[in-house]
Amino acid sequence: MRPGRVGRVGVIGHPVAKTAVVAKAVSPGPSPVAKTAVVAAAVTPGRGIGRRRI
Amino acid sequence: MTDVQLDELGPVDYVVVEFPAGASNFTGEMAAELLSLVDRGIIRVIDVLILTKADDGTVEAAELSDVGELGELEALEAQLAELLAEDDVEHLAAAMDPGSTAGVLIWENLWAAPFASAARRSGGQLIANGRIPIQAIIASIEADEVPAT
Repeated sequence: MRPGRVGRVGVIGHPVAKTAVVAKAVSPGPSPVAKTAVVAAAVTPGRGIGRRRI
Repeated sequence: MTDVQLDELGPVDYVVVEFPAGASNFTGEMAAELLSLVDRGIIRVIDVLILTKADDGTVEAAELSDVGELGELEALEAQLAELLAEDDVEHLAAAMDPGSTAGVLIWENLWAAPFASAARRSGGQLIANGRIPIQAIIASIEADEVPAT
């Protein structure tokens, strides 16, 4: 670690909690995971008839 | 970073990407995607650290420049701002599992800066922001699909 990082006030401020790991389901583009399509439809305007408009 | 007007600074975000022991598969794809974002003016990389957490929980932080062959990342490394301080390392490493390695990336969202600046000039004040986890979206959609009783 460079000396310039030592003794300075940090920017994170608190210990970071681990988030739930998101696996391959969120990779962009075609995915074999059905949930990806469901989420994509929900957050894409004009897609997913009967789903949410965002 | 000192030559950047604060009013024109875009939102600054960070991620910690963990690579569990034995699970890393570096092909250069991550670096290429990162450089693409930089080259397109979407983000500006502010800082990068590589953290290693030993099985006993001790943490070591390495600079990007400590990595041997940087390749195309060399130009990026020269522009880093060393925003993170020593105590940030412990805070960030709290999320890591023992035996893992993680990359910490801090970046400015250049794409958002003009809008944020315009909002401030219009009298707007940022009172909340955040990220919606993909799991929350999935859970919400699934809840919609459960027939009402």
